[in-house]
Amino acid sequence: MDPLILVALVIALALFFDFTNGFHDTANAMATPIATGALKPKVAVAIAAILNLVGAFLSTEVAKTISGGLIKEGDGGVQITPVLILAGLIGAIVWNLVTWLLGLPSSSSHALFGGLIGATIVGAGLAAIDGSVLVSKILIPAVLAPVTAGFVSFLATKIAFAVTRKRERDGFKRGQIFTSSLVSLAHGTNDAQKTMGVITLTLIAAGYQEVGSGPEFWVIASCAIAIAAGTYSGGWRIIRTMGRGITDVEPAQGFAAEAATTATILASSHLGFALSTTQVASGSVVGTGIGRKGASVRWRTAGRIALGWLITIPASGVVGALAAFIASFGVWGVLLDVALAVVAITGIFLWSRRSHVDHRNLHQPEPGVFVRPKRRKARR
Amino acid sequence: MIDWLAFVWVFLAALVSACVGVTLFALGLRLGDGEAAWRRPVSVLMFALCGLAVLFGLYIIVGDHLVTLFTR
Repeated sequence: MDPLILVALVIALALFFDFTNGFHDTANAMATPIATGALKPKVAVAIAAILNLVGAFLSTEVAKTISGGLIKEGDGGVQITPVLILAGLIGAIVWNLVTWLLGLPSSSSHALFGGLIGATIVGAGLAAIDGSVLVSKILIPAVLAPVTAGFVSFLATKIAFAVTRKRERDGFKRGQIFTSSLVSLAHGTNDAQKTMGVITLTLIAAGYQEVGSGPEFWVIASCAIAIAAGTYSGGWRIIRTMGRGITDVEPAQGFAAEAATTATILASSHLGFALSTTQVASGSVVGTGIGRKGASVRWRTAGRIALGWLITIPASGVVGALAAFIASFGVWGVLLDVALAVVAITGIFLWSRRSHVDHRNLHQPEPGVFVRPKRRKARR
Repeated sequence: MIDWLAFVWVFLAALVSACVGVTLFALGLRLGDGEAAWRRPVSVLMFALCGLAVLFGLYIIVGDHLVTLFTR
């Protein structure tokens, strides 16, 4: 196959992955402000999209490897080829769409890693995967992220309810706008970079760019636009799960959860211990549900989300491995891969139309509903 | 293997900053809801401190990137 066509296919899929990453992760920042009525749904996703766009342009640092040491690359290791990247991307996209269809907030980074792991195992064997990196960089942080954020959110919720009286708590909505905006900006600086890294690595591997060079401006711009467009399209199903499915969120809880998410993400990115934004945000929502007296956490939904996290890497890995196996048959294999990916994407989209969810059928509370005093029962 | 010390720092930093931020904002709301003359300026001070915390968060996110952009 002409290398240019292969590179074009990888870039198209990488940008589509970036788009799915955007709409998958809108909920991390905007689910609670929408749930409490702090922001109208369309306004919330517009703010998130703009901040993701700005964030993507601010971050020009590209990781040296897209796998972060997970796959043994370079001297003595395996050479990641554009075909393996293509197969890995297919695995990540399909799994991102499946979890979106189910309304499950799962990590897009884990989906990408899973896809690449599966493709690499088929392309280069199991020995190419560094198991210790998988455990230390993905599996243990996947447990620590929600527990940390959940505990921080729990304490922050206790403080918010202890300090304020009921009639004052609607004021937390204003604070939510700032905390959710910070999460969106942080997301743009981190997540768009992954796709920039994938495209740059593909261009270098195919010989269209010098080794060791950073991303071209058109790569940065197209990744920024793709993640912003994905964010603006709003993953309404996941927003519904995060905002209402786990627990009923009041403004004080929303602020506490967002503050916990923001603090945990900024601390993790600044102190060099990477945690998944999705897992941090989900943990915060569970923590705030436990923290408010009288609130209940729907553990069944929380369990479904945790199960989704557990199977993200194996599931996207299986799809990536299957795609890599098909691609190993040469040009026709690669074309079949792309055709099957298009069929899967279209099928999932059509399936989603059967129970359409968008900003119009998201429940939003009336202004002031959380501070309205309860009616006293009439004494007999 | 896993850098547990870095994790402990992340945990402590997240815990302290989130709790301090929420306490300041909650105090701002609480103190803004009263008759006494001293409450309002103290409430504004609490919100201003929260604003500073947001600016610090913004600096953490974009500070390094801006330095890189402008020193090229």
